[in-house]
Amino acid sequence: MALLELENVVAAYGNIRALKGLTLAVEEGEIVALLGANGAGKSTTLRVISGLMPPQSGTLRFAGRSIGGLAPGAIVKLGVAHVPEGRRVFPGLTVRENIILGGSNRERASRAELEADAEKMFGIFPEIKPFEAALGWTLSGGQQQMVAIARGLMSRPKLLLLDEPSLGLAPLIVQQVYRVIADVRRDGTTVLLVEQNAHMALSVADRGYVLETGQLVVHGKPEALWDNEDVRTAYLGGRRTQAGR
Amino acid sequence: MRASVRSGKSPPGVTGRRGLAFGLYATAALMAVMAAVITPLSAYSLNLLMQAATYAIAVLGLTIVLGYTGQINLAQAAFFGIGAYGVALGTTAFGLSFLGALAIGVVLAAGAGAVLGLTSLRLGGHYLAMVTISFQTILTLVLTNWVAFTRGPDGVPNIRRPALLAESGPYLGLCIAALFAVAWFVWWLKTTKLGRAMQAVRDNELAANVIGVDAYATKVAAFTLSAVLGGFGGALFAGGFTYVSPDQFSFAESVVFLTMVLLGGAAAPAGAVLGTGLLILLPEWLRFLKVIYLAVYGGAVILIMIFMPDGIWGYAMTRWRRLRPARPIDPGIIAPLALTRETARADNSVILSVHGLSKHFGGLKAVDAVDLTIHRNTVHALIGPNGSGKTTLLNVLNGIVRPTAGSIALDGVDITRLPPHRRARHGLGRSFQNIRLFGAMSVLDNVIVAAERPRPLPALPRLRARAGRGDGGLECHALGALDFVGIAARAGAQVGSLSYGHQRLVEIARALAGSPKLLFLDEPGAGLNHVEKDELVRLLTRLKGHGLTILIIDHDMAMVERVADHITVLNFGKRIADGTPAEVLRHTDVIAAYLGEERPALSRSYGAS
Repeated sequence: MALLELENVVAAYGNIRALKGLTLAVEEGEIVALLGANGAGKSTTLRVISGLMPPQSGTLRFAGRSIGGLAPGAIVKLGVAHVPEGRRVFPGLTVRENIILGGSNRERASRAELEADAEKMFGIFPEIKPFEAALGWTLSGGQQQMVAIARGLMSRPKLLLLDEPSLGLAPLIVQQVYRVIADVRRDGTTVLLVEQNAHMALSVADRGYVLETGQLVVHGKPEALWDNEDVRTAYLGGRRTQAGR
Repeated sequence: MRASVRSGKSPPGVTGRRGLAFGLYATAALMAVMAAVITPLSAYSLNLLMQAATYAIAVLGLTIVLGYTGQINLAQAAFFGIGAYGVALGTTAFGLSFLGALAIGVVLAAGAGAVLGLTSLRLGGHYLAMVTISFQTILTLVLTNWVAFTRGPDGVPNIRRPALLAESGPYLGLCIAALFAVAWFVWWLKTTKLGRAMQAVRDNELAANVIGVDAYATKVAAFTLSAVLGGFGGALFAGGFTYVSPDQFSFAESVVFLTMVLLGGAAAPAGAVLGTGLLILLPEWLRFLKVIYLAVYGGAVILIMIFMPDGIWGYAMTRWRRLRPARPIDPGIIAPLALTRETARADNSVILSVHGLSKHFGGLKAVDAVDLTIHRNTVHALIGPNGSGKTTLLNVLNGIVRPTAGSIALDGVDITRLPPHRRARHGLGRSFQNIRLFGAMSVLDNVIVAAERPRPLPALPRLRARAGRGDGGLECHALGALDFVGIAARAGAQVGSLSYGHQRLVEIARALAGSPKLLFLDEPGAGLNHVEKDELVRLLTRLKGHGLTILIIDHDMAMVERVADHITVLNFGKRIADGTPAEVLRHTDVIAAYLGEERPALSRSYGAS
């Protein structure tokens, strides 16, 4: 049984349908990449899974349990962490407070345990350690992105939903974030990743799903996606950029 | 095109429909006035209607200041009182005619509004709320305690009406005619340059400043207009009841005015009229409930606010829009974007010259003695690690943040001390890292706000003549900017309904519509996929081809390498490298601080698989 299963999920903003019957599955321990153009419904998929947006129809199961229509708070407690696009760092809290808040679903964890985990996060992202007492809003965009990822990891999720983790990060930091994603999986966390940078995403992913206008176009292992000429040209950015030079 | 019909900037075909709408409105107004004059009403009904009409005029003022401009005003009853006492004391103590006294009342209210606005609108938010409450309280104290002039708590009786309208029926007719006129004015205001500036300030003050809107002046104008309407409503109110006293203009009444506008819907004049009517009539309708009527009234207001946060009118409009999708744009009225003025001067001279620029936040040196020279008609990239001060540097160049030291010269003009909107007029344009659009406005209106700022294009008069209406050329120009970035087809949509990538393009179109010489783009490629990035590269190349100069921040080195003529690298606020892409990207300090050891792999992965 897959850890996460979506079957015929439909979701809409007003009368604009963003997901038109999406079916996908994520096995335990996998890294799965969701690819596709802007407006294809990638972020909406994550929002439906984490409960930020209720589905209109279809079923969502997490670890065998139906989660369609549950409140976001309840879904987090089941072990799903969502690092949304656009950072959403709490501006009036310090970096350390932001990170520790990420562990608020772990009701039995002691303060000392959370503090120790926060230290681990500073180990993963040493760039934000000097700012641990600074307020969230004073950080640059890229530093906020690191805080957002660290906050998501603090909940020790079974499933981590990452929406464009490389957005606005310097190349050096992007490499670091992808190393972190690979490490996180090694520790047993399943990752569902939305990315524009198909090369980066598929370099760590076990499988990729390509969406277009709210529907699944193709899915498969990274090599299979790369070997498919049409998919590569239309969605992954292969030959086309070369020809453009 | 929904946007154009709603805001009245219309291509020629719609002009007739607008004329018809105005005719219908004028007829309705005339019939309402006639009905008020002819129908024999009880004194009770007359009082109720008179109160509703005059209150509604004051509440329409709040539509401007709160609904359009997003500024809080908790002193509307004070302006209402100034207008009322103008008529009260003018016609009794000073023996003036009604009209003369009314004019004095309105002018006094306007003056008070302007002074209050000028002194407090730099604050905003809860500070502004406090200042307006203080003003309200002071006015109540003056009215109550300056007995020699205001006659104190006893109030002013025997206020005169205009000689021809001394009877209550005709006077009610006057109030209703005034209400119709004011409501039309407030509706029309929304479609003007000032009205669009107000909405831009409401939705994103920083972005409004950067595209050339003087946000402070706009807020003061809105506050003053609101005070004028408050004073006008109050003046008519005094004539209607022929008696005023200080307790009618207390803080509690200001709260009532605010509730009225929020209940009906602050975004449109119809909401103000609806909210006023309801809050005045509802308690009367509920009187049969006797002792519990106030509780039911309060409960009803709370329920409406919970289930219709945009007010009754806002709720109805949202429903209506869902039923009617936006009408498509007629491509015939799109004008090609004219960036010709700069093309004429596409030499390689220096356009921006920055010397020793610093910005320190306390001990943090976000920008530290940076020198930067940008040549005309080049793409200049600014790169560096996260938190190295790139965005802060842009903010200083834009005037959003004041520098600690250093100088900035644009085309030989020192702009170091200019505010952002003045720099826009000198030819600076900008897009933001975290998109800053005017969320409640249409895509087209977002661009028009920038298009109608100064730096007009030579081609505009001709377009204006072609479109046949004053604003038509503007609309063509704005559509031209949208067409240039490839999204003219979405012009009629609400900007919030667009995807992230499209919103980025709207930001660029908005900057282009201001016809800048020098365009700052802060991470325009973030969140775009490879196809969209290719399109962005082509767009930047086309812009350069038109003679524009671009300063771009981005982390996608493959893209930067393709578009940039020159690269400056920042680290910890200091310039660590400056030169051509070939030199800079092989610089050991840059590789260590920014690119990382996997840099060759990255480059390969972008080019081919």
